[in-house]
Amino acid sequence: MTPEEFLERIKEKFEVDARISENKMPHPRKRVWINVDRAKFKELMKFIKETDPKAQFSIIIGEDRGDYLSAEYHLELFYEQEPSLSVIVATACPKDDPKIPSLGDVFPSSVSYERENKEFLGIEFEGIPDPRRLFLPDDFPEGIYPLRRDDKGIKPEMVKNAGHPYRLGGAKK
Amino acid sequence: MNNRIEYWVKIPIGPIHPALEEPEKFIITLDGERIINVDVKLGYNLRGLEWIAMRRNYIQLMYLAERICGICSFSHNHTYTRAVEEMAGIEVPERAEYIRVIVGELERIHSHLLNLGVVGHAIGYDTVLHMSWLAREKVMDILEAIGGNRVNYAMNTIGGVRRDIEEKHKRAILDMIAYYKNEIMPKIEEIFLYDPTVEARLRDAGVIPKRIAIEYSAQGPTARGSGVKKDVRYNEKLGVYPDLGVKPITPKEFTGVIKGDVFDRMVVRVGELWQSMELIERAFDQMPEGKIKAFAKDNLILLKLKKADGEGIGRYEAPRGEVIHYVRANPGKDIPSKWKAREPTFPNLFAVARALVGEQLADVPVAIASIDPCLSCTDRVAVIDARTGKRKILMEKDLLRASIEKTREINPKVSVKPEVVGIGCPRGDLL
Repeated sequence: MTPEEFLERIKEKFEVDARISENKMPHPRKRVWINVDRAKFKELMKFIKETDPKAQFSIIIGEDRGDYLSAEYHLELFYEQEPSLSVIVATACPKDDPKIPSLGDVFPSSVSYERENKEFLGIEFEGIPDPRRLFLPDDFPEGIYPLRRDDKGIKPEMVKNAGHPYRLGGAKK
Repeated sequence: MNNRIEYWVKIPIGPIHPALEEPEKFIITLDGERIINVDVKLGYNLRGLEWIAMRRNYIQLMYLAERICGICSFSHNHTYTRAVEEMAGIEVPERAEYIRVIVGELERIHSHLLNLGVVGHAIGYDTVLHMSWLAREKVMDILEAIGGNRVNYAMNTIGGVRRDIEEKHKRAILDMIAYYKNEIMPKIEEIFLYDPTVEARLRDAGVIPKRIAIEYSAQGPTARGSGVKKDVRYNEKLGVYPDLGVKPITPKEFTGVIKGDVFDRMVVRVGELWQSMELIERAFDQMPEGKIKAFAKDNLILLKLKKADGEGIGRYEAPRGEVIHYVRANPGKDIPSKWKAREPTFPNLFAVARALVGEQLADVPVAIASIDPCLSCTDRVAVIDARTGKRKILMEKDLLRASIEKTREINPKVSVKPEVVGIGCPRGDLL
């Protein structure tokens, strides 16, 4: 399936904001970028999974974009043909209601990325089967998300406090 | 029997373990010998690279990306530059693409030789370790001659490569390939394809079925060993790889069967050693003369990237699987607004952890990153009584006592006191 055919199939069913990019390598390579509202997001991912049941889930790129948080999901479809289909599905949530549906039941491999984004950016994945922390230590303060750019991010005094970077107020003497 | 007590024994492996390459923790729950759950805890080596990257410009990020991993340092650097090139629409000279292929494949050779040795060590074949690591020195010397360093050779720059491959390098590399083809590869094939002991040890150990490899997005030799035909160099039409005729390698071409066990993963690695050498030879045949970078100076790169807008994804098949980098520009600034990297071990770990469920404890060592869990080092064992839910921590001494009691059941004449030999693990006292 070519990127154009794939995008048409998506557009038949969903109202999405999408584009196809092409890079300038010696062998041009197309990617499909889809932007979808979080209400329709899970439905779309299920549809992609139906399109290719072998679809591979690669990464969740969470980002603090000022007044909202975005999450971009990269998927690889039809990897047994030569130019496989590289799809990026982006969704977003406002900061005061940071909720995105979890894909744990559609792509089981997404759970570890969701755990990563949950602790680093504070995106709540609704229905995540395993909400524990993955990378951060268990005694890291609650409510601080290291990759946020606002006041919930890492504060300068935490950084200066080397040796005990996450103990507010300095090391006990 | 009604009052049968079920024991669930939890065995932690890591975070610091003599045989683990990286600090990571596996908590293995056992029911007898059968594994019923494997839990992975990461983050013991969290350096906050993404957080550091929020304060670095495009050029500095290149060297930061290189330091993600010591073994695949070229891969990360390469993938990052590809992501930036895609974002800004920079064209790379053809000669640079060929040099990237050559260095990338040299890196694959050294990484696979390393892994073959580690697996040999894990099953007690230390001669294999010494032999393959001795052979690996040759390719490390070549990399040092080309890049000036054994690791972190910093070959890439945005829009090309930083160093050319000259005639003397070409001669040295072709010598190296001849040496590997004539002297090393026959021995490696003898060990990993035909040796009955190795086959008995690695066959049917740590099986990752194709279904789980797909479901959990396993990458690289782990996926190909399970029969998932994917290789980013082939799928992505990466650089000049299509001109060199790259194809995903599965064990089917060598042994005729795909079982998805450790043996198959090793077969894939042996096959990729052959493939890498052929790719390098073909690259030398086809490599054109010309420029090696698109920008003469680094400050021109920053000037160009300040005007860039958009986002780019770079993907590359590192020795362990797909590396993927994402970069989004910040118009008017030389600092990207987002840089994110994903290394192949991350999904592979969870795939292996899932695949270990239902296997025997003895399969853990070769399956998890070819490590050998030293159970006598296990500092404590927590036993949960399934009926009462009570948790009891057994110390080394308790284990010894239990073990001696069991021996007494067989032979009542045994009269030994449970004594801890050696220092033991001091952390055992804390719990």
